[in-house]
Amino acid sequence: MSERPIWERRYDRRGFVAVSAMTAFLAACGGSTTAEEEPGGGTTTATDQPQLTGELFYYNWADYVNPETYDRFTQETGVTVKKDFYPSNEDLQAKLQAGARGYDIVVPTGYMTKILVEGNLLQEIDWSRLPTVEANIDPKFRGLPYDPDDRYSVPKDWGTTGFVYRTDLFDGTLTSWADFYEAAMGPLSKKVTVLDSYPEVIGSALKKNGFSYNSEDEGELEIAKGDLLALKPHILAITSSEYRQMVIAGRAAMALGWNGDGALVVAEKPAEYVVPEEGSEFWVDTYAIPVGANNPDAAYAWIDFAYQPEIGALETEYHNYGSTLQKALLEGVIDPDVLANEDVFPSDEVVAKLEPNNYGPEGDSLRQRIWTEFKSA
Amino acid sequence: MAVEVARLEPRRRRFSAAGGPRYPGWLALPAVGWYLLFFVGPLAILALFSVAERVGFSTVVYTFNLDNFADLWDPLYGKVFLRTLQLAVVGTVATLLVGFPLAYYLARYATRKTLLLLLIVIPFWTSFLIRTYAWLIILAPDFPLFRALRWAGIVPSDLQILYTEKAVYIGVIYNYLPLMVLPLYAALERMDWSLVDAAQDLGDNAWQAFRRVTLPLVLPGVLAGSLLTFIPLTGEYLVPVILGGDLTVYAGNLIGSQFVTSRDWPFGAAIAMVVVGAMTVAVLLYARLARREEQFGG
Repeated sequence: MSERPIWERRYDRRGFVAVSAMTAFLAACGGSTTAEEEPGGGTTTATDQPQLTGELFYYNWADYVNPETYDRFTQETGVTVKKDFYPSNEDLQAKLQAGARGYDIVVPTGYMTKILVEGNLLQEIDWSRLPTVEANIDPKFRGLPYDPDDRYSVPKDWGTTGFVYRTDLFDGTLTSWADFYEAAMGPLSKKVTVLDSYPEVIGSALKKNGFSYNSEDEGELEIAKGDLLALKPHILAITSSEYRQMVIAGRAAMALGWNGDGALVVAEKPAEYVVPEEGSEFWVDTYAIPVGANNPDAAYAWIDFAYQPEIGALETEYHNYGSTLQKALLEGVIDPDVLANEDVFPSDEVVAKLEPNNYGPEGDSLRQRIWTEFKSA
Repeated sequence: MAVEVARLEPRRRRFSAAGGPRYPGWLALPAVGWYLLFFVGPLAILALFSVAERVGFSTVVYTFNLDNFADLWDPLYGKVFLRTLQLAVVGTVATLLVGFPLAYYLARYATRKTLLLLLIVIPFWTSFLIRTYAWLIILAPDFPLFRALRWAGIVPSDLQILYTEKAVYIGVIYNYLPLMVLPLYAALERMDWSLVDAAQDLGDNAWQAFRRVTLPLVLPGVLAGSLLTFIPLTGEYLVPVILGGDLTVYAGNLIGSQFVTSRDWPFGAAIAMVVVGAMTVAVLLYARLARREEQFGG
């Protein structure tokens, strides 16, 4: 199973229900599936200088680590990195919840970190083993609402949700969610995509109406739903993975998406990435160590290693998502164009208007129903 | 599988009627074990989940309540089920309409049957996913064929097929065609064409001979192929996502999203149970029809 690509595993139509049921069965029995387990991992003896051995099993978003970083890490520590990828936070969660064990690092987004903690799927972080992180992290990324005491996660990278549009395919300037909806329902009808992720899409409609991104108010969500249902007939596709290519190819002219993808479109074509005026979301992806990790020593080593300024620079130059290191430390190490790029490092003024995803289970249930209605409209 | 059942049933009946050979019952153990472990077991777990309750973001608490089923009684989900039924029915009929002439030609007229059958089977050697992604390229507006058709004025310049229901149906017919053609071919292959000649000699025209002789004889094949297409279609998940741009929700997508995106396994299990129940009814109906056909076919 593990050698099949993740998307195939996810979508295999015939296997889907059976696999879900089987994994549920395994989880219900309290057994840990060993499909992903790798022999030869180190044991968890917390010493100051643990002898690093074996392999680091890194479960991550695709294309979210500079290939060079893997090589440098292996050179420095002797630990080889085994990789597996997931396409969404929800896939990661489904996998861990179903009982998959043996991953040493996973990278959930903040709101998912909170959900994984609720499900007892993450280990506590021993910050005494992360001296480089302690020294180099930008204090504004500590104690964020999804993990107020930093007990279960260490920030990895951060970014914004907004939209990107092709300036050569649209006449005019777009700066707000109101502009986005107006253009989508007008000249760019059937030329627009939105993410296949309900927090962001529903959040856009909430912010457009001046409500909180995390609203749990039924009345406010009802208004947002009205906007979404009006938008639906004008949407070309709902996708999180293909919109970047679609906008670059010109099949779509505008897309609701994340800043890293936006920056990559801007690098290829005349386009602009917008953090809307009404405000939007800022998200933080975090390093977390799941329960059942085989080699937590290597996980700590990786996290601490990645917080060196040269490595942070290498990473951000590669994926165009903001580093959580203190900005001063990156100066002189990172490509100055990347540091000056406001799509990658938004100004404090922009950041002040952003909210992290932080709604509760009630808000989640309300959103799920709206999303089904939106999709089947 | 349905083909096998249809074919084996009379033979078994003949054995028991004649008091034919009896095999020791334990020989069935591996099959029964397989069936229990991989079919009844998961189904039981699904049933267990469907009456459980979700608490917080994703925690499942095992109780017995029928709220999940009650929640399904909602026009929103009714619409999803109706749309799924429509996809399954229209998809099956369309696949039959495309598949029958093909199977008929193969069985009656084709000279290089093995080669043609191979051509039908070969796509199965490639992943379903990759074949569906290929259609993404073929249906894209900038595909050379479309450009040429637009240039020649055969199709309107704003023709959009990709990410519409049309694309979903094209993908469905393409993907299920072999499942339809093979049982049809198996039935037509066993046809005794001299019966058709006899009917025509006795005054039937071609259409009457087809309706009164060919069709009744191959009906079990038609039913088998339709069932093989219909059942997986009710759970179709991938084609609407890739070729439909994920703009429409069918039952398969609804179930999938409950498990993967919404983190509500109990609700997803309840929907799955309803679909399984509806399928059971469909299969039972089919079994009755097939048995009747067999009796008439003698």
